[in-house]
Amino acid sequence: MGTGTFWGVSLFVAIALLVLTRGLIANEYFFFAGYVVLQYIVLATAWNILGGYTGYTNFGVGAFFAVGAYSSVVLHKLTSVPVPVMILVGGLISGILGFGMGYLTLRLKGVFFAIATLALAIVAQTLIVNWDYVGGSRGIYVIRPQQAPLLGSYVQYLYSLMLVLAWAAVAIARTIERSRLGLGFNAIRDDEAAAEAGGVPTLRLKLIATSLSGALMGMSGAPLPYYVTYLDPASSFNLSYAVNSVAMPLIGGMTSWIGPVIGAVLLGTIQQLATVTISSALNLLIVGLLLIAFVIIAPNGIVGLVQARRRARLR
Amino acid sequence: MPALLEVGGLGKRFGGFVALEGIDLAVDTGERLGLIGPNGSGKSTLVNCLCGALHHDSGTIAFDGRTIDGLPAYQRTRLGLARSFQLPKPFRSLSLVDNLRVPSLYTVNARPGARLSPGAIGERCLALLDDVGLADKAARLPRDLTQVEMRKLELARAVASAPRLLFADETMAGLSPSEVEEILAVLVRLNEQGITIVLIEHIMRAVMSFSTRLVVLVAGQKIADGPPQEAIRNPEVERAYLGE
Repeated sequence: MGTGTFWGVSLFVAIALLVLTRGLIANEYFFFAGYVVLQYIVLATAWNILGGYTGYTNFGVGAFFAVGAYSSVVLHKLTSVPVPVMILVGGLISGILGFGMGYLTLRLKGVFFAIATLALAIVAQTLIVNWDYVGGSRGIYVIRPQQAPLLGSYVQYLYSLMLVLAWAAVAIARTIERSRLGLGFNAIRDDEAAAEAGGVPTLRLKLIATSLSGALMGMSGAPLPYYVTYLDPASSFNLSYAVNSVAMPLIGGMTSWIGPVIGAVLLGTIQQLATVTISSALNLLIVGLLLIAFVIIAPNGIVGLVQARRRARLR
Repeated sequence: MPALLEVGGLGKRFGGFVALEGIDLAVDTGERLGLIGPNGSGKSTLVNCLCGALHHDSGTIAFDGRTIDGLPAYQRTRLGLARSFQLPKPFRSLSLVDNLRVPSLYTVNARPGARLSPGAIGERCLALLDDVGLADKAARLPRDLTQVEMRKLELARAVASAPRLLFADETMAGLSPSEVEEILAVLVRLNEQGITIVLIEHIMRAVMSFSTRLVVLVAGQKIADGPPQEAIRNPEVERAYLGE
């Protein structure tokens, strides 16, 4: 797919989704569930920029996500800015957090980096738990504005914002993938010493990856307070955000922008269906089973399966 | 005219272990320098210090008249100082042509002056692969290569950064005599194209036929430097290799 085609098709898909769902579907719950799936497209895509392209496993997804959410809480208490501004601010703060994390952990590789990111999540959660202004450990109620700025309900408005954000995240990921930056990320993932010897400024590229990945995660978390209307540390820092954000690219495929999208739509939808039809506790079990299945059957995800088949046909 | 590479009093320690001590070395443009020494004598440490993978503790390194102490490895590569690794380190998930695209984009196109278009970069990478006889495998992944092809890819990737000085770190270890000849031919051709080459090698036949000058390291110190035939007759070198 050429770059022009991608932009055309992806914009068309995004707008069509927006118009069709909002025009045809009257059930409010669809938007409530759709928001979560879209949010996971952003999270999985953001995780994949660092984890898939650059090869650094981040288990601190919850921290970036929650920092985005809590920055909105602060903004909500201080001023009354529109949600898109909150998304930008959340992205900025989480991006700075990502930069800091990258800078502090740049000597760590592999599993040690992953452990450090997990520790970061715990430190961030402890800070929020002890910060009374944003509700501390008992959480905080956030009252939505009475009217949505666009037609329809407020959840429909948040759903639309998240759709735009998901499109933007995917467009960014794909642009990186085809650029010099993406090739540099891949070189770092395959062999950092060889990349450096090949002229790749590995430190700078890793900081770009951690910042960008963190920023997108923060952006996806920023509308959360208005979506749930009650925010507490235990749920916003939940480990399931990290587990899902890792599992989705793994299932979809980590080498391509479409992988996290496939994984997020597949896993996110199954989870939403399971929540309604069976039980919400079943979600992580489903993730676990799917992960085991994919590690055995398709270690490179769905995209990897397709690529292997294509390569075999070429031979 | 100053030498292309000037090393003065270079020293490197790992804790209490002195890996390199007081190394003085000058490499002139166009030279074919052989660097030999027993295992653990500090050859690879020297290459790592010169290329920026390690940072030396004392002494200075000047490349093309410019001091490069403390410069990170990627900047040294951009200046024209390339290396191949002793154990090939291909980018496993990238096709052969993309393996060369990395240094092409990050060095050639990062230098001031002409920027190559994506098409020109692609052609250049294919031409470099053709030079080492890998053009027909351009779309393959490194895991499809044989050991000697892997060494050639390693060399081609180093050359893709358009270096002025190339450190070939044991590119022939473990290869058969005919494969050694293949790699030697590639190195001679690169030298004829104007790339100064420092060959780090254990295979004496290869070193002796390739080098115009020989430097011998033993226990982190330079003990001989001169025409190959003279250098290996040096009594200290004989003692290091053959014992008392």
